[in-house]
Amino acid sequence: MALLTYIGAITQALEEEMRRDERVFILGEDVGVEGGVFKATKGLFQEFGPERVMDTPLAEGIIVSAAIGAAMAGMRPVPEIQFVDFITPAMDAITQQAAKLRYRSAGTQTCPLTLRVCYGGGVGGGLYHSQTNTTWFAHEPGLIVVAPGTVADAKGMLKAAIRQDDPVVYFEHKKLYRSIKEELPDDTDFVTDLLKAAVRRPGKDMTLVSYGWTLQLSMQAAERMHAETGADIEVVDLRVLNPLDKDTVLESLAKTGRLLIVHEDHKTLGIGAEIAAIAAEEAFDCLDAPILRVAAPDVPAIPFSPPLEKYYLPSVDKIVEAATRLLHY
Amino acid sequence: MTAKTKERAAEAVEPNGKKGFSLISDEKLLQLYSTMLKCRMMEERARILFKQSKFSGNYYAAVGQEAAAVGTAIDLLPGDTIGPSHRDFITNFIKGAPLHKLMCQLYARVDSPDQGRSSPAHMGYAPLNVITPSSTIAAQLNIATGVALANKMLKNNCIAMAFSGDGSTSLGFWHEALNFAGVNELPIIFVCQNNMWAESVSLALQTKVQDIALKAQAYGFPGIAVDGNDVVAVYRVASEAIARARKGGGPTLIECKTYRWYGHSEIDPGKYRPAEEVERWKAYDPIVNMEKYLAGKGLYSDDLKLEIVAAFNKELDAAIEIADKSPFPDGPDALDHVYSFSIRDRALSTKTWKPKY
Repeated sequence: MALLTYIGAITQALEEEMRRDERVFILGEDVGVEGGVFKATKGLFQEFGPERVMDTPLAEGIIVSAAIGAAMAGMRPVPEIQFVDFITPAMDAITQQAAKLRYRSAGTQTCPLTLRVCYGGGVGGGLYHSQTNTTWFAHEPGLIVVAPGTVADAKGMLKAAIRQDDPVVYFEHKKLYRSIKEELPDDTDFVTDLLKAAVRRPGKDMTLVSYGWTLQLSMQAAERMHAETGADIEVVDLRVLNPLDKDTVLESLAKTGRLLIVHEDHKTLGIGAEIAAIAAEEAFDCLDAPILRVAAPDVPAIPFSPPLEKYYLPSVDKIVEAATRLLHY
Repeated sequence: MTAKTKERAAEAVEPNGKKGFSLISDEKLLQLYSTMLKCRMMEERARILFKQSKFSGNYYAAVGQEAAAVGTAIDLLPGDTIGPSHRDFITNFIKGAPLHKLMCQLYARVDSPDQGRSSPAHMGYAPLNVITPSSTIAAQLNIATGVALANKMLKNNCIAMAFSGDGSTSLGFWHEALNFAGVNELPIIFVCQNNMWAESVSLALQTKVQDIALKAQAYGFPGIAVDGNDVVAVYRVASEAIARARKGGGPTLIECKTYRWYGHSEIDPGKYRPAEEVERWKAYDPIVNMEKYLAGKGLYSDDLKLEIVAAFNKELDAAIEIADKSPFPDGPDALDHVYSFSIRDRALSTKTWKPKY
């Protein structure tokens, strides 16, 4: 067993997978000599050299495209997007190429790559270093999109993604990098199911669905509610945003009758909207109350000044308030 | 065509002042010719089939540009990769894909390489490493660049060749690909088929430089402009570029100056182009040019042409018959090949949940 941070788990997963399979290589901006701006690839350049930990030109489009082509030709690339805010030049590569290559070639050409994307707010990063934008990719069939919210998943999902024969967009939350720690087993085959959500806290009074950093907030909110009111909230870690694991969510809803969804992405057409629609479509009889969402407001991006950022982001207080309303409906 | 490109063509056809002298084998010269002729026949047949409503969608003929695709791609090996654009359907044939696969692609049948998913002209062929193209312009350059990166890492002696037109050179993608390939000295050849028109937009509105080949300078590797209607000239340049790439010498940009005879697609009459310009280029037909070249070497006769035409027409008929008989895919097949696992159960599920409390 070893005590790891979320970012430490990412580094360890990369290191183990690169040792296991020499087809695995990393490419991106500042990933090599510098070891990444957040140090996620720290030490890998020294161990594996400049060919397998490639510092690339500052051009997200070709970073992802080169990974697609290399994956087609038999490699297992792990490109990095330094901040999701800068992913837009790669949108054609991700949505038109990676997501559609298998489909448009009827499975004869594929691109098993793992696109690591750093995202999320709460660190004073301002408009262009704090965005979430997970929904853009959840909307693209052909991509597997994951957003680990625990240290174990940070490692297990990354390793599973690298071994998966599909393009995976792996969202890693920068606020989680060094704020959570976990003991993980010394197992170089420690992988997490890439297609399943996870129940993090069993409960009977309400289903609370979240992912990423807001999963941690949701857990805190559930504990506080339990301590203050005795309410038992079941927390579901969505963790896979595409394709959604509907069954785990609806199974929980069938048990609790109440549904609250929390995410850091915008409210309109966010993951919460899809989960609410699925619940209405497939579990209408299970609903004892309206479905509520705690999400970022529909403003273009996360503002910089601390009061503005605080207003923008979900918080334990906001979750407790919504959960209280829902329980009292 | 400019006077300058005419000069280049003349130089290529008559090196060292010796008419017909060539280091290229007679066999190769005849292969270049017959492949161009077959590409022409295949595309002219495709155009007729489209007009007869034998297939729907659209077609983007490269008629008039055959020397560019044939001259560059004819010597590629099975392990080499081609990144085609929408106008490079014929590269599948040049690479060696069976003719009936091309026809099934046009007809959107289950026996097409993509089982009826992509538009008719957007064909790839995995067994011979032709990337199934998207319609987003220049994307194939970027993906082919990634293939070249893998080739270099795997040291497999394979190269990539990416095709694009003059219009694609305006996109950021085009430059990202060339820059990345230059920095990493990748085994890739960028073939720009400059046909002077990106749909209705003329070259003058696309770029301020006269030779697109110049742009390679910015990325630190050779860029060569060649008469794209002179297959021997194209072949010579490509042979050198291919050998260089295979030896680890890095990328080359080859600009083939050429012209498409017809509109952007079969539904575009191409009225934006002066009739005189079209006629001038049609008179500078790469196939006729090659016939003259072969005749100068005593390698051409009308009988030879008739023989190729008769035999290939039969091959086309047989391929079209296979396509005709190939079934259309079933509607729900649309749910396949999204992931490495099936989503059918999920997509077709009608399951609803009842309360358990």
